[in-house]
This record gives sequence, C-alpha cells and structure tokens, in this order.
Amino acid sequence: MPRIGVFICHCGVNIAQNVNVEEVKRYAERLKDVVVSRDYKYLCSNTGCGIIKEAIKEYKLDGVVVAACSPRMHEHTFQRVAEESGLNKYKVEVANIREQCSWVHSSRDEATSKAKTLVRMAVAKARLAEDLKPARIKITREALVIGGGVAGIQSALDLANEGFKVHLVEREPSIGGRMAQLDKTFPTLDCASCILTPKMMEAANHPNIDLLVYSEVESVKGSVGDYTVRVKKKPRYVDPGKCTGCGDCASACRLKNKVKNEFDLGLGRRGAVYVPFPQAVPLKYVIDDKTCLYLTKGRCGDEPLCMKACKQGAIDFKQKEEIVDLRVGVIIVATGYDLIDKVGLYELGYGRSPDVITTLEFERLINSSGPTRGEVLRPSNNEKPGSITFILCAGSRDKRLCEWCCRVGCMTALKQVYLIREKLGDTVEVNVCYTDIRSYGKGYEEFYRRIRGVDNVNMFRGRPSEVRVKPDGLIVNVFDTLSDKLFEIKTDLVVLVPAIVPSTGTLDAARTLRLSRSNDGFLMEAHPKLRPMDSFLSGVFIAGCCQGPKDIQDTVAHASGAASRAAWILSSDTLEALPYTAVVNEDLCSGCKTCLLVCPYQAIETVMKDNKLRARVNSTLCQGCGCCVVACPAKAIYQLGFKDEQIKPMITGLKEE
Amino acid sequence: MSKRYALYPGCLASTEQYAYELSVREVSSFFNIELVNLDDFSCCGEPIKSINQLLTLYLSARNISIAEKSNLDVYAPCAMCHLALSEAAFILDSDNDLRCRVNKVLSSEGLEYHYKHKSRILHTVDVLYDDIGLEKLKNSVRKPLTGLKVAAHYGCHLIRPSEIGRPDNPENPSKIESIIQVTGAEPVYYPERLDCCGAPLLPTRQESALTKTGEKLQALHEGAVDVLVDVCPWCHKMFDEQQVKAKETVAGGFNIPVLYLTQLVGLALGLKHDRLGLDLNQSPVEKVISKVK
Repeated sequence: MPRIGVFICHCGVNIAQNVNVEEVKRYAERLKDVVVSRDYKYLCSNTGCGIIKEAIKEYKLDGVVVAACSPRMHEHTFQRVAEESGLNKYKVEVANIREQCSWVHSSRDEATSKAKTLVRMAVAKARLAEDLKPARIKITREALVIGGGVAGIQSALDLANEGFKVHLVEREPSIGGRMAQLDKTFPTLDCASCILTPKMMEAANHPNIDLLVYSEVESVKGSVGDYTVRVKKKPRYVDPGKCTGCGDCASACRLKNKVKNEFDLGLGRRGAVYVPFPQAVPLKYVIDDKTCLYLTKGRCGDEPLCMKACKQGAIDFKQKEEIVDLRVGVIIVATGYDLIDKVGLYELGYGRSPDVITTLEFERLINSSGPTRGEVLRPSNNEKPGSITFILCAGSRDKRLCEWCCRVGCMTALKQVYLIREKLGDTVEVNVCYTDIRSYGKGYEEFYRRIRGVDNVNMFRGRPSEVRVKPDGLIVNVFDTLSDKLFEIKTDLVVLVPAIVPSTGTLDAARTLRLSRSNDGFLMEAHPKLRPMDSFLSGVFIAGCCQGPKDIQDTVAHASGAASRAAWILSSDTLEALPYTAVVNEDLCSGCKTCLLVCPYQAIETVMKDNKLRARVNSTLCQGCGCCVVACPAKAIYQLGFKDEQIKPMITGLKEE
Repeated sequence: MSKRYALYPGCLASTEQYAYELSVREVSSFFNIELVNLDDFSCCGEPIKSINQLLTLYLSARNISIAEKSNLDVYAPCAMCHLALSEAAFILDSDNDLRCRVNKVLSSEGLEYHYKHKSRILHTVDVLYDDIGLEKLKNSVRKPLTGLKVAAHYGCHLIRPSEIGRPDNPENPSKIESIIQVTGAEPVYYPERLDCCGAPLLPTRQESALTKTGEKLQALHEGAVDVLVDVCPWCHKMFDEQQVKAKETVAGGFNIPVLYLTQLVGLALGLKHDRLGLDLNQSPVEKVISKVK
C-alpha cells in the first residue's frame, strides 16, 4: 500500500491568487493512498522543505507529490529533501500548477479545478513510482579543447593550471587564431601579438597541455565524463623532433614567394614549405601538400631544395597521417569565426575593385610584420592613398545577409582610423560611413570621442548602397542623416567592416558533436543569460566567438567561464548517469534494429542471446530522449520512470472526477 | 522549330517607339518565330500603379489571362510592361484574397487569372538568350560587327525587384553583353552601367530626368563607346529621342548612336536597316550602319 504525501505551494500569490489552495489541499486528502496533505506559502524555502521532511518522517511516506512551480525550477530541491529524509529521490513527482495552471488561466474556478486534476494525475503516477538507482559514471580527468585561438588557449591554460590534462587540437600549423592576425587591440592599443604570444608560449610549454597542431577532430563518441575522441594529425612532412625552426628550407624552396599566404589573407606570399607567421607556436615548418612540387607532381627539379638545405635532415616526405585516440571527460569547443563570404560584399565593390578591402586585410597591411611591412598602399597601383573610406555594417544588420550586429565592427574601424593617423600622417583624408557607433565597453566611449575629434576625419551617418569603381578611383555615395545631405565621396581605398559568421571549424564541430545552432548559425548556448558557456549536451562547453561574435576581453571571460564549468565536472567525485534510461525487454525484442537507427546518441548496440539478435541499451550513453521507446514496433523497450503502466493511470486520471 | 508568342507591344512600342516593334518583328521572323496579335490586349497598368494598385493588378491579370486563353506565352518587349505583368502574377500568386477579388472582376469578361499562370511572360532578353540561344544567334550572324564597341543599358524594370524573378541578375547582369559578344562586337563595361535612364521622372521633374540621361551619356562619351544598346522603349526614348535635350541640360559633348538590341542583332544578321526601323532613330545611327557594310 503506497503512502503518499501531497504538498501544495502558494508561491506567494503566484499560485494562490488564481488557485484555491485550501480547496485543492482538502481534495488531495481524500484521494486514495494519500495519507497527508499540507500547504505552505513557499515550499522551496527552508521552512517549506522542513514541512515536507517532517511529514515524510511522521507519516512514513514512500511517495511525495509537490504541486508548485515548474519542475525546471525546483524539482532538484524537492528531490534533495526526499534524499535527506531517506527516500529515493525519484519517488518525488512534481505537478506544475503555476506555469501550466495559475499563470495561464484567469478564471479562479477553472484554475482550481485544473489544479485538482493535475494533482490527481501526479498522485496516480506517484503510486507506481519506483526506486531508481542511476549508474555512476567514471570521470576521465582530462579535457579536450577544440580550437587554438585566444579562447581555446585561455580555456586550456585555466584547466591545465587547475591540474587537469588538456589536449588542445588546432587545425592550422600554429595556434593563435584570429588575434594573431591583428595589429593593435582596442581601446588600449596594445599590440595583439605582444599580449598573445606569452599565452601561446605558456600553452606550448605547460606540462599539462598536449598541443596537437595541424590536427582535426574526426569523431567523438561517448557522453559526459567519458568521451572517446579520434584526432587526425595531418602529415606536415617535417619531423618536428628534428626541426629547429631555422627557416633554411623556406629560403631555398623553389616556390618561394609564389604561394598566397593564408595568414595574410592572400595579400602576402610564401613558399610550399612555411610557417604561417614568424611568431608561430610551435615554430616548426610544414609543407603544403597542395602546392609542393614534389608532393603534387612527384618531383622537384633534380632534388627537393628544402631537403638539400635542411642541416637537421628534418624533411620527411614519407610522413603519413597519424590517428590519435583520446579519452576525455569534457570537451570545450572554441572554433572561432570567419568573415562573411565575399559574395555578400559584391555590392560594395569587394571583388570588383582591388582597392576595396576588409578590415582584416587592412589589419595585415598596417601590421609592421605584415606583407607590406606596415605600408598601406593601394593594391591597384601600389601608391599611397590620399583618401580612405570606411564602410561599417557591410553585410551586418541586413535582413538579406546577416541580421545580427558584429559587435566589434565600430571599435575596429575607430581603431584603424587611429592607426592611419599614427602611421600615415595627417594628410590622409579619412571618411567613416556608419549606422550607429556601438562603443559599449569599458573605455570605448572615451576612445570614440577622441577619434571623432581628430582633424580630417569625416563621420557620415549613413549606409552607402553602392561603391562605384571608376578608372581613377572609387566613388562612394552616402546620405548623411544628421546633416540631411547627400555626399559623393571620391576616395582611393575603401575598407569594409564585414559581417562576422561562424567559421567552417564551428560548422564542423557542430556536425561532429551534434551541437545545436541558433538562427544566426553560431553554436547555441543552453541559456542566453544564465548559461552562456554551456551547450545543450552536458560535458560539452562553448567558448569564444563560436557562440557569437564578441571582442577579445569578452572572449577571454567566456573561455575562462567555460573552463570553470568544465572543471566542475572534472573535479566531481563521480557523475550520475541519467536514471531515466531506456531498457530493452529482451524476451520481446526481435532484433529488428529500428531502435538503433533512431537513437541520436548511438547508445544502442546488438547482442546475441540464445542465438538470436537482441538490442541492448548502454545506460551511460542513453540520454533518455525516448525515441527508441516510441519507435519499437514490438513495444519491447520501456523507459525507467516513464513506463506505460505509469503513464496510463495519469491519462485515465484526467477524466475521473 | 517554330515558336509562337502572343506579342504584347504595350503603348509606347506600338506608337512613338515603333522602331522597337519593327525590329522585334523582323528579327523574330528571321528565326521563324510567329508573333500572334491578340486584339483584346490593353494597357498593362504600370502608369497608374501608384494611384490604384487593384486596377493595375486587374489590367495586368487581364492581359495574362487573354494570352493563357489562347494557350500562348506572352512576349512583352517593353521592360516596364514586362515588370507590370510579372509583378502582378507574383502578387496574385501570393495573396489568395486579392486573386479572388481580381478574378471576380475578370469573370464578367469570361476570363480568369490562374494561380501560377501557365503562360510564360517573356522579354526580348529572354527570347534572344534563352529561347533562341547564343549558339543559334552566333551561327546566324552574317555581318559580324567586328571592332564595334557596344555599351549595354539594362535599365531598372528589367532587373528589379529581384524577389519576383527577373530576366537577369540585379547586381551583375550579363546577358546583354553575351548577346553583344556573339554579334562580333566588343561589349564595354563602364561604372555607370546600372544607372537609371531617368524616364520615370520625365512627367514631373523633367530637368532631373534629363540630367540622369545626360550624365550617363556623358560618361559613355568619355569612355569612347561607339554604340549604346537598350531593351526598353522608355530608356530608348530618353537616350535616343531626348539626347539633344539631355545634352543641353548637362552641357555635354556627346553624340552617341543609340540602338535597340534587336536593331543591333538585326544588323549582324544581315537584315536591311530600313526593315529594322533604323530610319526612325533620332540619334546618329548612320555612324553604325556605315561600319556594318
């Protein structure tokens, strides 16, 4: 005979205003198997929980129904109360009489009647509740960080410093990401490399960080606490053990200065054997197998010049791709961003004229270790520009292209205006066509005012619709809404502030890990306000711009936050698997494998039993979604905590009165 | 292969800009395309679009229904008519109530606009580029226009608004240049290529209209272009008939031959220039004709 206690919360006036709690309490008392019914103003409070605890002890309850707010709010609270009273926590059933009753009905009679029905249904389920013992997951105290930009580096360092082993996987030959491509950072005008390279060095030398560059994550299996990750290390055809980073090979390469350099966005040149940039970490050379003559054509003159030049004998054309299998407990995705595809910028002249460039390309040009050694020259004729025009929101805040704001564009443009004044002098006319100036951060507004006051810097509040390419220059037509005038700007160089989109690495990670993405394509956070570093998969966290565009300080904060969330799991004693897993009744199973096909978590496998194929659910991988239960044609799978026999009385309880 | 279209000349091509209709008929006949005259056709409604949208939709729907009743595609050489008809079809396809209202009026004439009309609505560019095709055009050229520098004027109604589907790309159209290329001439790209001719401003702001026309012609003049071709009687009216007035308005120095695309194609096909209506053009087309001999 079950002994059930019903506890009804007033929730201040949230429930009590619309639901006659007194009446529901008296109604519950009369239900079969209910031995006690209580109500209180705030059940989630200490006193409220105390009432429940007392009742469990006094009435020797073996089932608890709490009629209150959404289980998302306090199910865990009441479960803890039950546990502390010696009751299995899965004997607690929550009836939501707030969000699903009081808050959505205006008639007190209707709401009260519905609350009674909800309580009756919860009692029906509680009568059949079983003690559930979730499996305990062993936690592998290692972490995987995907992406070696500033976010990945920060997360890796944080976790490594806490004592956990971290595998940092980066697909480029060097870590550093986008921040390494910048010249200065706003608003302090710190040199980006100067503040990043110490972190890069720290990550490379940290005893707890296993750096896997020029590598990609191929597949991820398992679930929180116990992931199996397959990493593919691409062959660099250079033995990193022997390479000293001296650069003799690059100087000798037959294709020296002939291949477009990705780091410089095609504005600079490298050879087939290269390091992406001089401060690369690790400073080991790599041979590009798409351009190297020996690798593409089978021969490089009489002999490969790099092999001849390398005194360490580090060139190894026989190198093969290597597979590394890792076991980790948590994964942090920090795969970063890309700029909008050039097709989206066609209207503004990008691709139509070489003198229309993006802010990132401008950053490479003005960087003194960039392809032009810091000289900003018009790409069309290599002459110094007399006038430079910035067009903000190129592709951003645009329903046809990217609806979102790129967040960093305004400050980037202002910073670059400053760099122009500092490096190119006062004579260069600078025009800025903006929509709004979003200088929201610490020190940003002051920086904006400083730039706005500079001579020969003209600010136009308007969006140019077209950049006209004439033989002798560019024409930008813009309507300035503040002065109500149409301006025709004759200019030599146009710099577009492009929209920011998720990188291909982010899209790959989403696919490999089955991560949700928001409407804008970036990885979706579990809660936009309260859990911005969590993905919907427990054990997988997201850091940096892969979740949405942000500046460096927000990226670092985000990354540290993700590391902290991950560390919480890594430092737990054990983790509980979900108790609500699916179970196969092997006597009914015919081995049709339908459940295998529908399971999104690959948690079902087949076993041979009595010479017949049967399905079996791995309870540590099962996430309790219920797909297999529904799909099974023989009704051979049930879900713990939600068996048909438990649900059916709830449904019949609906019409009973 | 014999094709049949219902020719929808519109108000301007069949009157003031008759050269266009002449050249259209001549080139079509060369390719064995039969142009059927449907007497019942009326105005497309474009001129009153800003005053009474329902009437415009009704007028355009009416014309499409008439063609559909005869099982014919509609060939509208005027870009403005082509837009009116295409846009009406798009709006009526997406709004059930509006379509019912219009059909209620059409029913009194025994007509009906059918959802996703079966009759295609074609423009000269569609006919030349898709239906006849570049291959066939190229092989039919008798008098290649070698050495002739030809600039294309697409106009606005031909390529916008892009959501409803237009004959060419709104940001970077290329079909007319492709056609120019197969005639043997050299297509010229210029920064002002997609600028408006100014025609819509003519009724209310004559000086502004002529300024737009003049500025574009001046730019072409400075670019040493031999011919300007267009595909709309309104654009042609501005560049050809109004060229002198435009020159005065912007104090320009131009005197450019302006031809309909069908006239240029006709010349390359070896057709006689008076059959192509070239004596009706007011710009100095003799400069071009002399180069073709």
